[in-house]
Amino acid sequence: MIAVLGLVVGVVVGLVVRPVVPTVVEPYLPIAVVAALDAVFGGLRAMLDGIFDDKVFVVSFLSNVVVAALIVFLGDKLGVGAQLSTGVVVVLGIRIFSNAAAIRRHVFRA
Amino acid sequence: MSTDGNTPEENPPGEPASAEEPTPAEGPKKAAKSAKPEKAEKGEKAPKTAKTSKDGKAEGSGRAATPAGPGEAGEAGRSDETGRSDKGGEGNEPEKSVGPRPGPAPDAGSASGAAAAPGPVPELTPAPPPAAAPVTGRQRLLNSLWPPRLTRAQLTVAVLLCVLGLGLAIQVRSTSDNSALRGARQEDLVRILDELDNRTKRLEDEKRRLENQRTELESSSNQAAEARKQTAQKEQQLGILAGTVGAQGPGIELTVSDPKGLVEADKLLDAIQELRAAGAEAIQINDVRVAADTYFSGAAGRVEIDGKKVSQPYRFKVIGKPQDLEPALNIPGGVVQTLEKEQAGVSVQRSEKIIVDALRPAKRPDYARSSSQ
Repeated sequence: MIAVLGLVVGVVVGLVVRPVVPTVVEPYLPIAVVAALDAVFGGLRAMLDGIFDDKVFVVSFLSNVVVAALIVFLGDKLGVGAQLSTGVVVVLGIRIFSNAAAIRRHVFRA
Repeated sequence: MSTDGNTPEENPPGEPASAEEPTPAEGPKKAAKSAKPEKAEKGEKAPKTAKTSKDGKAEGSGRAATPAGPGEAGEAGRSDETGRSDKGGEGNEPEKSVGPRPGPAPDAGSASGAAAAPGPVPELTPAPPPAAAPVTGRQRLLNSLWPPRLTRAQLTVAVLLCVLGLGLAIQVRSTSDNSALRGARQEDLVRILDELDNRTKRLEDEKRRLENQRTELESSSNQAAEARKQTAQKEQQLGILAGTVGAQGPGIELTVSDPKGLVEADKLLDAIQELRAAGAEAIQINDVRVAADTYFSGAAGRVEIDGKKVSQPYRFKVIGKPQDLEPALNIPGGVVQTLEKEQAGVSVQRSEKIIVDALRPAKRPDYARSSSQ
């Protein structure tokens, strides 16, 4: 519950305050958000499976974000940033879908 | 609910030891490692056999309950429950890999059971199944959702989700805010900038070209208009000289009446020459315009000008400066005196407005050509 409240608070703050993102970080923000979404879905699934652990969640969340941003950064340096970010998004999307399928089985039993 | 509330409370301490990743693949392995060897075998067997007849096998193991360790009973109960709950799903979509998914849960449950209470479980073999049975994923979700508990896990997750929400909101806002430029990559921006530069250059070139063209056209049209104006002025001047256009201005009117018919043509010519010498610009005798090629012929009394017979009284209309023209005619021994000697009546009148309206046809010279070009 508090976690959901945290999400809502984050969205509201982001919409109201309009923080300015440094231009250096800007290209990696979308990828980082997708990676974080993946971590969140994984955490939700783990919770439904009863194997949720907050430490693991924190580590996977942060490492997901950092690795995704790092891959894109590396891709930018190598000149294949667009392709690599597409690949990262595809992989994360697949993971999100599989996690969402597991969550769906738990919640709807179907 | 109270019993349900207990089991999640009990589970968290066990979880860090057994259940780790959200990804299901690692779950079973770690759990198997942390658990006893027989259980590892069992854990590996269970998912494999789950597809065929998990229910029966689990029940059988639960009933027997002898060969396995303390964790067995818990695992049996859990797998029993999950097996039942999953049965419908398996029946519906048998080809899907539902087997591995229930795998981690029973293992985790068994491991936690083993870690938390190794001793008492065997004696309470019938007790755990009813306690653990209702705890499905859905109920776990509801449990964690409704009575809001301020735990460390909840707080950390809340903080991370807050960060996620922040990033999400920023990203959505920035992408919806100002076009695609904001989130664009550096190389894309460089390309866009290049394109814009090229476009600007092209448009600048075109603009310069068109401006040049415009000034050219303007100057040429100006020149043409000026030339036309000058030509028109010149045509007027030359027309006055050639007698092809009418003229008006100050001047004098000279009337020579010759009732006896004694005035000869050369006397009229003398008068014309005297007037021209005094600066006459346009001359008309009766209704004949006097120009450069005007000639006088005929005897006295039957004078012809340009082959046209004119009769007396001869009326000269002369445009020029009256103060010059009149004295020129009246000088002693001049035109007036000579004509009066021929017994003709002569009168000179100044006028501010003399109208010379007799015209001559414009004649194109047959042989003479301009040599100025």
